[in-house]
Amino acid sequence: MKKPDGANPAKLLWFVVIVFIAYVIFKSPGWFMNKPIPGSLIMMYMFFAVVAALLVMTSTDESTQGLFAPIKALVEDPSKKIIRNAVFVIAPIVGALITYNQIKPGFDAPVELRATHPAPPTIMKAYDKTFNLATLENPFRKLQTENPEKFKEAVKEGGAVYFKNCFFCHGDKLDGKGHFAQGFNPLPLPFQGKDTIAQLQESFVFWRISTGGPGLPKEATPWLSAMPVWHTFLSEDEVWKAILFIYDYTDNAPRSWVSANSKKDG
Amino acid sequence: MKIYAPLLALLLSAAPSITFAGGSVEAGKGVYEKRCVWCHGETGAGDGPASSFLSPPPRDFTAGVYKWKSTPFDEMVPSDEDFMRMIKGDPSHNGISGWTGMNGTSMPGWSDILSDKDAADVTAYIKKFAELGTPQKPAINTANAPKSTKEGIERGKKIFENRCAECHGREGKGSGTKKLKDDWGARTWPRNLTKAWSFRVGNDVKDIYTRVTVGIPGTQMPSFADPGSNKKLSDEERWDAAVYVNSLDAPRKKPTDNTVIKAMRIEGALPDKTDDPAWNAASVTSFYLVPQIIAQERHFTPSLDTVSVGAVYNSDEIAILLEWDDRTRSLPGDAKAIEIADGDVFVDGVAVQWPRNLAEGEKPYFGMGDAANPVNVWFWQSESAAGAGQTVRLLDAKGFKDAQTRDPASVGLKATGVYDNGTWRVVMKRALTTKDAEKDIQFSEGKFIPIAFAAWDGSNQEKGSKHVMTTWHWLLMQPATKSTVYVWPIVIGLVIAGVEFLWWRSARKKRDTGQGMR
Repeated sequence: MKKPDGANPAKLLWFVVIVFIAYVIFKSPGWFMNKPIPGSLIMMYMFFAVVAALLVMTSTDESTQGLFAPIKALVEDPSKKIIRNAVFVIAPIVGALITYNQIKPGFDAPVELRATHPAPPTIMKAYDKTFNLATLENPFRKLQTENPEKFKEAVKEGGAVYFKNCFFCHGDKLDGKGHFAQGFNPLPLPFQGKDTIAQLQESFVFWRISTGGPGLPKEATPWLSAMPVWHTFLSEDEVWKAILFIYDYTDNAPRSWVSANSKKDG
Repeated sequence: MKIYAPLLALLLSAAPSITFAGGSVEAGKGVYEKRCVWCHGETGAGDGPASSFLSPPPRDFTAGVYKWKSTPFDEMVPSDEDFMRMIKGDPSHNGISGWTGMNGTSMPGWSDILSDKDAADVTAYIKKFAELGTPQKPAINTANAPKSTKEGIERGKKIFENRCAECHGREGKGSGTKKLKDDWGARTWPRNLTKAWSFRVGNDVKDIYTRVTVGIPGTQMPSFADPGSNKKLSDEERWDAAVYVNSLDAPRKKPTDNTVIKAMRIEGALPDKTDDPAWNAASVTSFYLVPQIIAQERHFTPSLDTVSVGAVYNSDEIAILLEWDDRTRSLPGDAKAIEIADGDVFVDGVAVQWPRNLAEGEKPYFGMGDAANPVNVWFWQSESAAGAGQTVRLLDAKGFKDAQTRDPASVGLKATGVYDNGTWRVVMKRALTTKDAEKDIQFSEGKFIPIAFAAWDGSNQEKGSKHVMTTWHWLLMQPATKSTVYVWPIVIGLVIAGVEFLWWRSARKKRDTGQGMR
């Protein structure tokens, strides 16, 4: 008797391999980068991965048969008795274990989602004034081209502001790892690298500094941020100079639509 | 070859300026003025803009005295490798996660920013401040490190009690019996040897041996290898002492990523006392304490660094045990306490903060709540005078400027603390529910409850807003595991087995009929 076409287990093997690779991908941030994806999300992703693989692999009758034939053969073919018995014992145990892992009480801290760079408001209040964030500029920035000596001085003054007020958390190296950083959650923002303040306009940075944690919108969990409300401690000029310093020290430039346009014009 | 060796040695020692690993003073100045001036100052005197906010203060390079080095006690200059390690840091320092620099200071490890050449250049420049040359004596030999054995620890313990306990305390927690200052006039405290991550460069046996052998220049920590000292120890004795000190580490005090305190359910009455054996059932979670630097008056020089918390509950009440190392028992008016404190002595204290309402999503501001989300604070303080008794208060706060006191007896809140050998232990206890659910947190099983802490060391001039604190963490009253947790897996397993059986039987039937037809 000729075996059914699909008894070749290649197709089923492919399915298992694809699902396994998906699992490894979802797990790897946790294994290699110490940033695990929460278990409940992995379950959801795996569900979609299995459904997607099934949809693709059962798109034609032929491929459907190819996928399920080995399973069918396992049950129906008397020559596979030993494997079948093994599978029949293992399957209920695996099912029971998965169920147990799903319903056993978990004691991991709840996952709290939080926006790191929330959308800024159009206007903000500080120093008994109202600032329009769309047009707000650093008053010392123009010195960079107009009077480099004075600019250098302003940066240095900003450095002194930073090292008397900010570096305890944001760090000696501006890497967000100051000597008190470990006590806070969220951790203080690093300024090194091209993916933090380089992506922000100076007006955004001014907003974040002067109104601090309590000035954050709800999606950024203002109740957790340890950022002080700096307009109660520092003058406007001190804040702007500290901003100059954090860009200068990290070799970053603020994001600016205006300068991009003026460069084109000039 | 033999003839040349002494000649070579002579050449090397006679030419200190060229043997220093290629560091350029000029290039070092550039790096120093960008990276180091903020703490160490333009003239190297340790007086940069940040210096007055730091404890310990930044090194003053003009004196040419380095507290940490591996060259012998009678050699002033650290080795090139010492400078590299001080500047670049090393993961072996085993400090707070992400920190590779000098533990317990604000000097980070610079290896991600400075190259070996940069570090050598900076070394050349900072040595120039005190005109330091090349060390004439090599680093002490740590190649003979013994294995840590029970006998070695026993021998080390005897040496410790004899030589070290005087300053480091009987249990090695550095609890103060003396007022110590370094040569620059800054207050110093003996290391708490039970906190391995707080040692400047880690608690490896070799590094401890180096410290014992070299001492800490500029401080009261002497070299125990100095033949002129009546405290001198033999080489073996110093290794034994190092092995013993290394064994004092209490890893449970080091905070981990876990932020959940698991309160265990127990039957019967909850413990009232701090030394009740019932606490052994509680699992301990430790958290970092950092100074309050958010609102006036800000605090920059803390003395307390961690708090360890355990909790138990029964059907009526919850009890929390707070444990933290504090080198000083702060008793205002007490002559000894005043002498050690170096200033005014206030009471010690600890506080636990809870959100008043356990609504999903939004928490109160972690610094004493906000107008929309008030908090309850349970506040314990040590006695304000001998025999005056400890106090417990209940605060309702809507921000740090808006706190009202309420009678703790009205909700049955109790707290009591015991100070022993450098550690405070405080038990707080309250009923799970109160009459007024509007005003008080109501505890229930299986819920993640936000919890935050604050602590005060009165001998460190901590009072009011000057204190150390944590951010929000969680407390979970862990319910007893329900039997359904075991029933459902069995049911699922049986269902799968049943389906398999039916499938197999129908397949066999089909095959049998198929064969019958043939």
